[in-house]
Order: sequence, then C-alpha cells, then structure tokens
Amino acid sequence: MAWVHTWAGLTFGWLLFAIFLTGTLSYFKNEITQWAQPEITPHEVSSADGVNRAQQWLGENAPDAKRWFIRLPDERSPELGVSWSPAKGGFEEQPLDSLTGTAVKARESMGGEFFYRFHFQLQMPYPWGRWLASLAAMVMFVALISGIITHKKIFKEFFTFRPRKGQRTWLDGHNAVAVLVLPFHLMITYSSLVIFMTMIMPLSILTTYGKNTQGFFDDLFPAFKTAPASPDRAPLASIAPMLDVAADKWPGSRVGLITVNNPGSANASVTLTRHGADHIPHEPGTALVFDGVSGELKNESNMGAASLMLAGGLYGLHMGHFAAPLLRWLYFLAGIGGTAMIGTGLVIWLGKRRLKHAKAGVLPFELRLVEMLNVASMSGLMLAVVSFFWANRLLPVSFTGRSDWEVRAFFCVWGVALLHAFARVFFRDGRSAWREQLTVAASLYCLLPVLDMATAGGYLLASLKQGNLTLAALDLTALATGVFLAWGAFRFRGQGKTVIASKLAPAVQEAR
Amino acid sequence: MLLATLLCYIGFTALCLSMNRHYEDLTGRPFSAVRGQALRFSGWAALLVSLWIALVSQSLGQALVQWFAALMSSAVLLVFVMSYRPGLALSLAGIGVLLCPVAAFLQLLA
Repeated sequence: MAWVHTWAGLTFGWLLFAIFLTGTLSYFKNEITQWAQPEITPHEVSSADGVNRAQQWLGENAPDAKRWFIRLPDERSPELGVSWSPAKGGFEEQPLDSLTGTAVKARESMGGEFFYRFHFQLQMPYPWGRWLASLAAMVMFVALISGIITHKKIFKEFFTFRPRKGQRTWLDGHNAVAVLVLPFHLMITYSSLVIFMTMIMPLSILTTYGKNTQGFFDDLFPAFKTAPASPDRAPLASIAPMLDVAADKWPGSRVGLITVNNPGSANASVTLTRHGADHIPHEPGTALVFDGVSGELKNESNMGAASLMLAGGLYGLHMGHFAAPLLRWLYFLAGIGGTAMIGTGLVIWLGKRRLKHAKAGVLPFELRLVEMLNVASMSGLMLAVVSFFWANRLLPVSFTGRSDWEVRAFFCVWGVALLHAFARVFFRDGRSAWREQLTVAASLYCLLPVLDMATAGGYLLASLKQGNLTLAALDLTALATGVFLAWGAFRFRGQGKTVIASKLAPAVQEAR
Repeated sequence: MLLATLLCYIGFTALCLSMNRHYEDLTGRPFSAVRGQALRFSGWAALLVSLWIALVSQSLGQALVQWFAALMSSAVLLVFVMSYRPGLALSLAGIGVLLCPVAAFLQLLA
C-alpha cells in the first residue's frame, strides 16, 4: 500500500497542489471579485426594488434575448448581476448598481471566478480540464485511503507533532494536517467526484436515455425545460410580486437566481431558485415556475428524493455556499491544511531520497527534476497568484482585454518561475531556487496592501467607512501570507551543506 | 456552539493526557494506568456530550457541519499549542472547563 501512496502522491501531487490552492481561494470567490472590482459598491436595497431595476434595464438593453438571468445583491456580492443569452447566441453579463439600476463601469476582471474556474477546468478546453481534474480527484481519493492504511499509528500518534527535527517534523506535519482534518479531506475529495458523477459515470444515464442525454437533465430539472419562443409578443409581467410568492413557499430562504425564458414573448416564463446561502444542500432543481405574462405560479419542483438530497448535500458541503463568515474562514483554513498536506508530502518524497545522496552532495537527474517541479508548483504558483492581484491593480482600468491580461500575467509568471526553478536546480542548487522565489513572493504579498492603497486607496477607505471589511481583509490576508512566505524564505538561508547535516541531525539527537 | 466547541477541546486534551508519553511531557508527573483509563473515558464522554449538545441546539445538517468544524479546529489548536507552548495547552483546557457553565447558561438563554 505504501508504494501506491508514494507514487500516486508524487505523480499527481503537483497538479493537486494547484487544484487545492485555487479551490481554497474559491471559498472567497465573491470577496476576491469584490476586491478585483472595487468600483461596485454595496447598498441597502429591498429585493423588490432590485429586481424591478434589473427587469427595467434588461427590457431596455436586451429585449430580444432568449433568456435573462438576474442575481440580486447579497452580503457577499454587492452588484445587481444581470446576464442574458442574446438571440444571435453567446452569453453576456453586466453588473448594475443596485441603487440606481444603471450599468457600473467597473474594471474588466474575472476576479475570484478565475481561480474557481481553474480549480476544476485547469484552463483547458472543455471537457478535458474537467476530466483531468476528476482524474486528479480520483487519485487524491486513492492517496487518502492508502495514506490512512499506511499510517499505522493513527491513534497512537494522533497528537504528535515534533517541531525543529528536520525530516521527522515534515512527516509529523504531513500526518497531523492529514489526520486532524481528515473528515474535511474525505468530504472534499469524495464530493468532488459526486459533483462530476454524470460526466465520469454516465452509463446509467446512457442506458436509459440513449443519445438524448438532455432528456435526463430535463427530467431531473423540469423547471429549466424550455420551449422555443412563440412568435406572438406580450409584455412581461412584473417579477417583484413573484418574489413574495417565493417568500411564502420557502420560509427563511431568499431567492437566488431568477431566470426569464423568452422575455417579451407570449410564452415567457420566469423561474426562481433558492439562494444557496440559506441551506446546506445544493438544490438546483428546487424551483418555482411562473407564467411570464399573467405572473401566475405554474409549476413547482423540488429535489426531495433521498438520492438527490444525498448528492446535493455532498455538492453543497463541497461548495460551502451556506457558510457564514466564521465557518467560511474555517473552510479556507481546512483548504490550506489540504494544500499543506500535499506540499509536505512532495517535500518528504524528495527529502527521503536526498538523504542517500547526502555524502556525494550531487543529486541525480530525476531527483533534480522532482525538485524543480516542487519549486515551480508550490512557490511558483504562489507567485502566479499574487501576480494576478498585482496585474489587477497595475493594468489601466479602461484598457480593453485587461481581464485576459490578468490571466496572462498569472500564467506568464508561473512559466517564468518554472524556468527560474530549472536554471537554479540544474545549474546551482534547489535551496537557492526556493529562497529566491519565496523572497520575491513574500515581498509581493507584503506589498500588495501598499499597492492597493496607492492605486485604489479611495475605494478601500470608502469601503471601511461603510463598514465593509472585505477589501481590507483581503489586503491583510495577503500580508499574513507574505509574512509566512518570508519565514519560509528565511528557513532556506545559507548553503545546502548545513541543511543536509541538519536533516541528519534528528537521528543523532534521538540516539543521544 | 460555544459549549460544544469547549467540550471538544477539553475532550481532546483529556484523550491526549490519557497517553503515557503525552501525560508525562505535559504534566511532568508520573503516569498511572488508572488515571489514564479515567482520562480516556472522560475524553470520549466530553466528545459525545459535545455532539449531543450540537445536535439539540440546531437543525441536523448545520449541527453536524458545525460540530465537525469544532472537532477539527479544536484538535488542530491543541496539537499546535502543545507542540510550542505545552503549559498553555493545559491552561486553555482549564479555562475551557471554567467557561463551560457560562457557555451552558448562554445556550439555555438562546
């Protein structure tokens, strides 16, 4: 079993580190977007006013669209979000100011959506990224189970962490973040497979529905089955009263996504779903369908079946939409725990093998390759992430295609980090690669609050005056990350020789 | 959830102390098997009571999610603190015990 853990962990460790880190950031997806688009400010607005403004704006600006989507502002997203599918195809979206109902001229940025998309699509064409991410999830599950079996003293060493003992400390740390947060790791890995189950295990759907897989989804989510627009025109009923009906039907739960099918047509319909923050299970199929012209409730569907509840429950636990601030931070910390578990595992793999070559002082090619990938996938990714934030503040606000350039900055810096790791590991030593990348990353994270104040300080001050701590919290989190990375860089000071000695030291100490 | 969280931390501290090595490291006193048994029993009891308190105070889903969060974070806190400040780990458990009646009172009020 140990070899399964070792090799599954090594081959997929680099990819899994990136998946876990971006997934961890995605718990603050909306908050990152707020930081990335500080022009959008929150207001106290009733949902009726909000939806009226959205309906009016869409009526004026996208009257011929096939579908409208409206998302009301909430505690995590200040914008009144409208998006639509134009008749000619494609998809467009626009944040509106919730108070005035006019388009906000916010800087173009994917914000948290970038990390969220990368987390499961890996910036690859559909569906390959999802397949690779699912494969990684499967390997993660194997690594977790084989890790539990391999770890013989799971109870005896439950509370064991011995700091400052070289390789021993890395192994203790790896075990501690794995075992102490094990329920989270198991939940997050298993649920990721559940989320993509219709993609990775489609046989039961194919045998029943054949080629018409859309039929499966139509049966699962009847509220979203739509007919083509009727050629007869009719004005759309007001959506606001439908929200009152929803409030009666779903006590204690707000409306999330509002979908208008065939707006302006005689067969228009309006579908309301529940807000994800108000309950744990993910229930995309729980919906109320209204006649778009008369405004009457036509249809009601729910996801009450036990299997749907189970799948939706795991889905909801993975996404954590329901988590209030404290729980959201714990999700974030648990995610860092998972990322650290993968990172320490990669370091241990190399550390163990490095000891054999300690005397010669020269690492063979394959170990250098692993070290290069370790550096690039860990400190390189940290650099790439912070570059995304720097690009967001440094690129001119009204520059066309700036959103793509933010993403390019992320990947270019990651690529440069890989080249740097290659040059250092193969032509000098791995320690200098770690030290230099961590030092640069530490400075960039520590200086992010300064950059934010210099380039968008007005938004930061205004948000603090409004009592909105989101922008400041992101700056402070960056600062804390920077301090942590600086500590990491400090640990890599000096030349390689002393370290190999200190890695051998625990054996000496234990012998004494 | 305060009471349930305190009980998780106290429970884990008792379970940790029920092990010979940790007991002597943390208290500096010799370990006895009887005391170990008692600590192990009270540790598991505290964890079970904490789960029960979480379950009676809110809906099943929220209770389970929050209890697991409390369980994991108190274990991480204990292991982290006892590795660097062993004395503090025990003091925190002591403070936890003292706070339990207050937390219970708050929970009854809510």
